[in-house]
Amino acid sequence: MDLLHFGSYTFSSRLILGTGKFSNSTVMLDAVRSSGAQLVTVALRRFNREQAEDDLFGPLSAIKGITLMPNTSGASTASEAVRAAHIARELSGSPFIKVEIHPNPQHLMPDPIETFEASRILAKEGFLVMPYIAADPVLAKRLEEVGCASVMPLGSAIGSGQGLATSEMLNIIIRESGIPVIVDAGLRSPSEAAHAMEMGCEAVLVNSAVAVAGNPPAMAEAFAEAVVAGRKAFRSGLMQKSGSAIATSPLTSFLGTL
Amino acid sequence: MRVSPEWLTDNRDTAALAAMLAPDSLFSLETLAAESRAITLRRFGQTMTLYAPLYLSNYCSSGCAYCGFASDRTTPRHRLEPDDIRQELNAMKKIGISDILLLTGERTAAADFEYLQQSVAIAAQEMQRVSVEAFPMSVSEYRKLADCGCTGITIYQETYNRQRYKTLHRWGPKKDFIDRLETPARALEGGIKTVGLGVLLGLSDPVEDALSLYRHLRHLGHTYWRAGMSVSFPRMRPQTGGYEPPFPVDHHLLARMIFAFRISLPDTELVLSTRESAAFRDGMAGLGITRMSIESRTTVGGYHDPGNQEKGQFDICDDRTAKEFCTALRTKNIEPVFKNWEPAYNGPVSPNSSPAIPETQPCH
Repeated sequence: MDLLHFGSYTFSSRLILGTGKFSNSTVMLDAVRSSGAQLVTVALRRFNREQAEDDLFGPLSAIKGITLMPNTSGASTASEAVRAAHIARELSGSPFIKVEIHPNPQHLMPDPIETFEASRILAKEGFLVMPYIAADPVLAKRLEEVGCASVMPLGSAIGSGQGLATSEMLNIIIRESGIPVIVDAGLRSPSEAAHAMEMGCEAVLVNSAVAVAGNPPAMAEAFAEAVVAGRKAFRSGLMQKSGSAIATSPLTSFLGTL
Repeated sequence: MRVSPEWLTDNRDTAALAAMLAPDSLFSLETLAAESRAITLRRFGQTMTLYAPLYLSNYCSSGCAYCGFASDRTTPRHRLEPDDIRQELNAMKKIGISDILLLTGERTAAADFEYLQQSVAIAAQEMQRVSVEAFPMSVSEYRKLADCGCTGITIYQETYNRQRYKTLHRWGPKKDFIDRLETPARALEGGIKTVGLGVLLGLSDPVEDALSLYRHLRHLGHTYWRAGMSVSFPRMRPQTGGYEPPFPVDHHLLARMIFAFRISLPDTELVLSTRESAAFRDGMAGLGITRMSIESRTTVGGYHDPGNQEKGQFDICDDRTAKEFCTALRTKNIEPVFKNWEPAYNGPVSPNSSPAIPETQPCH
């Protein structure tokens, strides 16, 4: 069976769902269920122990068959992210942590230096570290070296819906990586998710595209199907694109005359 | 008198915003609303972050012509003592509030920096997120507040028109236009994560002020790349003291400003308070605004004593309970979010360089 492995965890679904931006938690929970996602990320800042109605963690943890991956969205430095990871592990019991560090709250681009530092520390402490990064092939390898469970390069800016704008860099990351590559951020349509899987990503993470869709649960299902199709295509061996035209008169025939 | 900085009149970057705000703009309000709505949905989703103000003190040393708490008003003066603050915080927590804005007047002996710092520390024990709207401070004072758990500073220039500013700010420390203009930068320098800017709509030409406000935000963004920024759109309400705004802003212009700011600053938090009516707030939810205040009391001690008949700084217009307001948001398919912060992320930030990187010695 084609399973996704992180540490001792295995998942048959390769769609990871984000839980922010939904119009209410009922819709969000419906979307999680219909996506078939087994790994779901939730921001520590949306854990609310004092007010059940405002809390995302409680209702998510009640869903059977999913593993929660808390994220550190809101952290702007490595030390804040490490602190948040500790709190998240204590509250959720999950060894997964999505390291998300954006020092500029305006555009939410990940800080490579702080992300590397936090990931290094947390991997050493035994977390299954899933860092959200720009599509930087060198950074991806550096994170692999310090023991991250995966790398999560962005397809394009969070919430931009620009799809796989970074595909050239993603191809290098996928080719070089010894750990799963998960495209995170920027996907707008299921076809883009399928494309990412065809490229060889091990999984995709989707949030905005589902959360702000007209019918989030149905869109979640569409993404799930696209991810399955894309993965199947990748495993089946896509036909090679021809690089250049075949010359009608062979270019090297002169060699035979020598 | 110190001269105004060059960026305040630099028009290189403002053409698009000016075109949207011009009285004879070619952009219809509907076109702007549709674009603003689409951006908001993509970037912030179908959510609204909620906060509430807590008036710590109404002592004031300034003579702002438009303010109900100006030092020449006969309003009775109070300040909340630590136990009162805890009582107010408890009353607020019962409503679900976890994100608060602490307010004072200009610096006075009765409500000075030490008082504010102590109040922030108390609030940070009870609340998830604490911001401050008080008097301008020094860099080192801002750093102390950040150390105590304050993550945001709101400081409005009120108006960027220097002449109008001078007329309106009759006495007190707030008279100094440039000092106030430099305050958000000092807050960021001191490690405060987010600065909230705004103009008090009604005091001066609103379009001119909006363009200056935009220049101020762009200037701060360029200088402090880590800065979180938010923009408020406070429109003058009938004030204690009876000030009539000379440049009233109607609903259409206010809506246009909000849309134009969302389009020009797609990632910036836009704030609308209970100064506005329930109908206006409900209408604007989802179209550009991402942060709203709820169940505001503008009197000192108004939460645990809601029967208090004393006049606040200004009259609030949307007086619905948090519950009623949340119901209205949900009807519009928008999720009210009470907690959208984690105290693990508190503490001063280094405004420009990375704190994680130690200084290295050059190799020889």
